[in-house]
Amino acid sequence: MSALLLALCVAAVAAAGLYLVLARDLVGVVLGLGLIGAAANLFLFAAGRIGGLTAAFVSGPEGAAIADMANPLPQALVLTAIVIGFALTCFGIALALRLARLGGKADADALCSAEPPPRRDGEPGVLR
Amino acid sequence: MIHSDNAAPTPQWIGLTWLLPLGLFVLLIFSGQPTLGFSLEWVPSLGVSLAFHMDGLSRLFLALILGIGAMVFLYAPGYLHGDARLPRLMVLLICFMFAMIGAVTADDLVTLFLFWEATSVLSFMLVGFDNEREDSRDAARQAMLVTGGGGLALLGGLLLILHAAPGLRLSDLPRLDPALIADPVFSAGVMLVMLGAITKSAQVPFHGWLPGAMAAPTPVSAYLHSATMVKLGVYLLARFDEAMGATPWWEWSLVTLGSITALWAAVLILRERDLKRILAWSTVSGLGTLTLLIGLPNEWSALAFNSFVLAHACYKAPLFFVAGNLDHLAGTRSIDNLRGMGRALPVTAAAAVLAGLSMAGLPSSFGFIAKDVILTAKELADSLWLVGATSLLVSAIGVAVAAVATIRVFFGRPNDALCRDAHKEGLRLVAPPLVIALAAVALGLFPQLVETMLLDAARMMSPDIVFSNADVPALREAADLSTLGSMGLIVALGALAYLGWDRLHQGLARLTFLDPYGPASIYPRALAALKRGAGSVTRALQDGVIGHYLMITLAATCLLMLPLLARLEPAPSLRLDALEAGRIVGAVVVLTGALLAVLASDILARLLAAGVVGIGSALVFLFSGAPDLAFTQLAVETVFVVVAAVALRRHAALDPAPAPGPWRITIAVGFGLMLGVLLLALQAAPMDSSLGDFFLAASLPEAHGSNVVNVIIVDFRSLDTLGEITVVLLTALAAWPLTRALRHKGAIRR
Repeated sequence: MSALLLALCVAAVAAAGLYLVLARDLVGVVLGLGLIGAAANLFLFAAGRIGGLTAAFVSGPEGAAIADMANPLPQALVLTAIVIGFALTCFGIALALRLARLGGKADADALCSAEPPPRRDGEPGVLR
Repeated sequence: MIHSDNAAPTPQWIGLTWLLPLGLFVLLIFSGQPTLGFSLEWVPSLGVSLAFHMDGLSRLFLALILGIGAMVFLYAPGYLHGDARLPRLMVLLICFMFAMIGAVTADDLVTLFLFWEATSVLSFMLVGFDNEREDSRDAARQAMLVTGGGGLALLGGLLLILHAAPGLRLSDLPRLDPALIADPVFSAGVMLVMLGAITKSAQVPFHGWLPGAMAAPTPVSAYLHSATMVKLGVYLLARFDEAMGATPWWEWSLVTLGSITALWAAVLILRERDLKRILAWSTVSGLGTLTLLIGLPNEWSALAFNSFVLAHACYKAPLFFVAGNLDHLAGTRSIDNLRGMGRALPVTAAAAVLAGLSMAGLPSSFGFIAKDVILTAKELADSLWLVGATSLLVSAIGVAVAAVATIRVFFGRPNDALCRDAHKEGLRLVAPPLVIALAAVALGLFPQLVETMLLDAARMMSPDIVFSNADVPALREAADLSTLGSMGLIVALGALAYLGWDRLHQGLARLTFLDPYGPASIYPRALAALKRGAGSVTRALQDGVIGHYLMITLAATCLLMLPLLARLEPAPSLRLDALEAGRIVGAVVVLTGALLAVLASDILARLLAAGVVGIGSALVFLFSGAPDLAFTQLAVETVFVVVAAVALRRHAALDPAPAPGPWRITIAVGFGLMLGVLLLALQAAPMDSSLGDFFLAASLPEAHGSNVVNVIIVDFRSLDTLGEITVVLLTALAAWPLTRALRHKGAIRR
């Protein structure tokens, strides 16, 4: 049951994140990226097999049996990913706000000065 | 004519290279072994091996490659005498010879493709040999694009064939399972192979590159573009003939294509004034006849095909040498100026006459015998009268071309200026055409010399040839009087065409409405259309809008994953476990957060929804034996929501972007679903847990830590963590000036 629910979570969070990214609102795009990161973390966590429900603390022979313990490897990877994702989203917010402040527009699709759209007559666009 | 100012001393070995193919030729002729084969492992996992197999058909083509090759190698140093680029030409020609040997002896389909492509690439380099001239470079590029494109079709076809019949070898083709021939995948593969073959053999509509390739030096034209490489296409078609012979579409498409090519090229011959281009078009016409012969269903056609391959090489190569001699010694190839050159170039004239006899199919030449077999095959085929009429016309034009290349050029009132200035004929320039033309005459007088070889080759296309009885020499049996009537008609028509050549030429030159269908027009148009098409595709895909790029990438990823997802079997268990209750609560919180994030219209509400997703994730982690993750997630989420909320206070004042359209929503939902199904399928698949078990077991004794997750982060994989910390620091450094600028500007505004 929880496997199905987790898959549903991944699907819903990724879809919500992509919806925000494609919705063009610049700060929403950054929040969407954060959501996609959350979906990716859940995906990684579940795909690496959760294992047992006991936390992976080993304390010598008298402790809990290793067989009951959670799988520590996906946890370690996801932990790294959470921190990196946090840093990325914070930077994204700062960048988005700065861009919005400079251009006055919060539309992601309007950001095309690096690659201007082609002109009506088919010739390539001009960099400004 | 090629003369270079920076003449360099020619290395000694250049003059002796012709002994190499000659030695191999002698070995081939006297070895007398009917079949021979060996195989080396190459990529066993893909079933690809360097497999070679030599049978009758290979031997015939090998004889041409080596025999004509020896004469070409003898001729080339004389033709490019004193030119600094001669060593380059010889090296390329030798490489080409070995590529051809590989191509006609390859047994493995991938090996065949490899050598096939090698011949295309070497042809490109040889056509563009005179690389300082623009027309030469253009011709080389055209040859490369056409035969290279055909090579791609060939590769696709061979791969489809290998898909339908894994491990198939060319030598298996005569004994194919009928069920395989009926397989549509196999048929599609053979169609693509046919496409590759007709580009190589310059059939309509890919015929334009061959006359263009005449920009190459004469030895190259004689070797690649008349005797050997262009015949590689028909060689491959002949290989498939026994397997596909009973298939109606095979027969019909080859007969139609061959007839159209032969006729169309024969018409285009009459529009040319350059002797070399006339010969080139007549080669295209001959290749059309070869294609037609493969398509004809009876066993005579197999013999006719092989006889004509031999006969064509034996007259067309010397005629190319003759054209080269005229160009080199008299300085022109235009039939308008060339008259009575026999006085200045007597030996060349003799070679031309001997080769011309064979081309016209007059008695005592091998061309006569080949033509006789061809006519017998066509009569037996009871095919359309149109095919018969076509071949009558084509043969008549062939006779006229032979007459132009001999009588018109070498006899009659001499062109005094040209004759006076003509250089003397060197041995290297006259020996090769003379030797090959004499060989053609010898074979015409004693056809039993090549009878075994031709019958062996024909049996590869039609294994149960009935006239294989050694008591009845097939070729002489063929040369009876039954076809003499048609031959007489052909020669008479040819004579008429020769006499009216100039009038025909003027008449056809006036038909300017033909120009749009000529090769000179098709190729540049196709090239321009390709550029236009590429431009519009690029503009459609790359319109500068980031959202569109993302949509294309996501949609393409979903499509690529579809076949994989169809193969996986997601098996979700619906069993409810009391221990999972906490995790389920967490999942519900996550789902709620995701829904809120979509429904919220305010950016701050969206931020809070993202926070809800984070807290839900933390709950999932907490109840899955991952307290470290849960704490980290909770801390990060709290800090992020608070910091971002502070930063976003004034964002609402900016213009809101339009809502996403239905396509964007579809793609977002589709990609999310794809990830979900993928996760379910992954969880159902078997898992190797040895890595996790290792960390659990090694954490305490080796790293002296009991929190295994922490031990992994700070000990086992500490370098990763160092990288992570670096990223976080760099991010802070990068964000600092941005936020400072925000504050600064805000302060001024306020």
